[in-house]
Amino acid sequence: MFKEERTGYKFSWQDIGDIKNGRPNLGLQVPVLAYRLLQYTMRDVLIAELGVDAANAIFVKAGRHAGTHFCKNLLNRNFGFNEFIAQLQRVLKEMAIGILRIEKADLVNMNLTLTVAEDLDCSGLPCTDEVVCQYDEGFIAGIMEAYTGKAFRAKEIDCWASGDRVCRFDVRALQENQ
Amino acid sequence: MIARAIEKLTILMQGKIPARFDNTGTEDASERNFAETLNQLVTFMEEIHQFINPLARGELSDIKLSPGNFLASPFKELHSRLCHLTWQAKQVASGDYGQRVDFMGEFSEAFNFMIIALERNEGLLRGKIDELEQALGHIKRLEGILPICAHCKRIRIESGEPQIQMSWIKIESYLSTRTDAQFTHTICPECMQKHYPEFAQPETDES
Repeated sequence: MFKEERTGYKFSWQDIGDIKNGRPNLGLQVPVLAYRLLQYTMRDVLIAELGVDAANAIFVKAGRHAGTHFCKNLLNRNFGFNEFIAQLQRVLKEMAIGILRIEKADLVNMNLTLTVAEDLDCSGLPCTDEVVCQYDEGFIAGIMEAYTGKAFRAKEIDCWASGDRVCRFDVRALQENQ
Repeated sequence: MIARAIEKLTILMQGKIPARFDNTGTEDASERNFAETLNQLVTFMEEIHQFINPLARGELSDIKLSPGNFLASPFKELHSRLCHLTWQAKQVASGDYGQRVDFMGEFSEAFNFMIIALERNEGLLRGKIDELEQALGHIKRLEGILPICAHCKRIRIESGEPQIQMSWIKIESYLSTRTDAQFTHTICPECMQKHYPEFAQPETDES
């Protein structure tokens, strides 16, 4: 189930297991620290083993994979765009993943500019010239792909810290030749 | 070097942008580094000036700061929130009352209360419009000249052929299909006297 060799993805939502029954005493939540420990040690090892570019590409792919399943299993994809975004904002907030805000939405060309504040991956990290939200890039693209059925690319274009680190993403549907 | 640096910092503190250090002839590495760092600070401050002035006028498009300008973080945050609020206001204007502003203190409360009030007021208005439309649906206007038979008082229906008897319907049918009026049949004293004299009451003085 988890350890067989594979050439394509085999993850299914059931792989997450029955957390409620599996953790009757400790409950559904874990500290952000545990998530970060997993993510940043994984990043460390992947970079050491495969290099920065390959590690980044893996994080984008994993994020995209997660975003697709997240959307298919937790979000109502039959909603119109506005309702879908409102739902996404609400779920991300309720699950303490981040605070999503839309700055621009060009629905004709499928081009969004959005920010994520208090992000699970990077809030509290010092702002540097490095962008570190590759997993988020994939996650956002995966959600949009599962919702629209079209290929998307999300790119972190800016970040700033005034209290909390905020990341800005350019999200756009890919043309067929991209 | 320090005197020139103080001069430039003073100009910066006055809200102006000083000229950069020309360090092309500087051989001392630490002086060159100092000059480059100060020039970077001047560049960041210049960017902030160019960013914040249009922002203060409410111009949100086509202004940006370089990603590495972390001095400007609060201004980036302000710009981002204003862009988001602009988008939300447009959404609300198009009838999307699901929008809420989070984590902006008193402003969130005021904005969210405004949206709730807008939604409630629109709901009330829509309710009133529905009521009025329903009422209008019951009121069918009678206007113009009605062709009525001088003898039997039947009325010719709209677009009915005058020569065809079916075009003429009883006045009760005509009115009850076009208004909410219903009819109950009775007999007026004059007709009673004429048609049923044996049942007619003698007329009083008042009549």
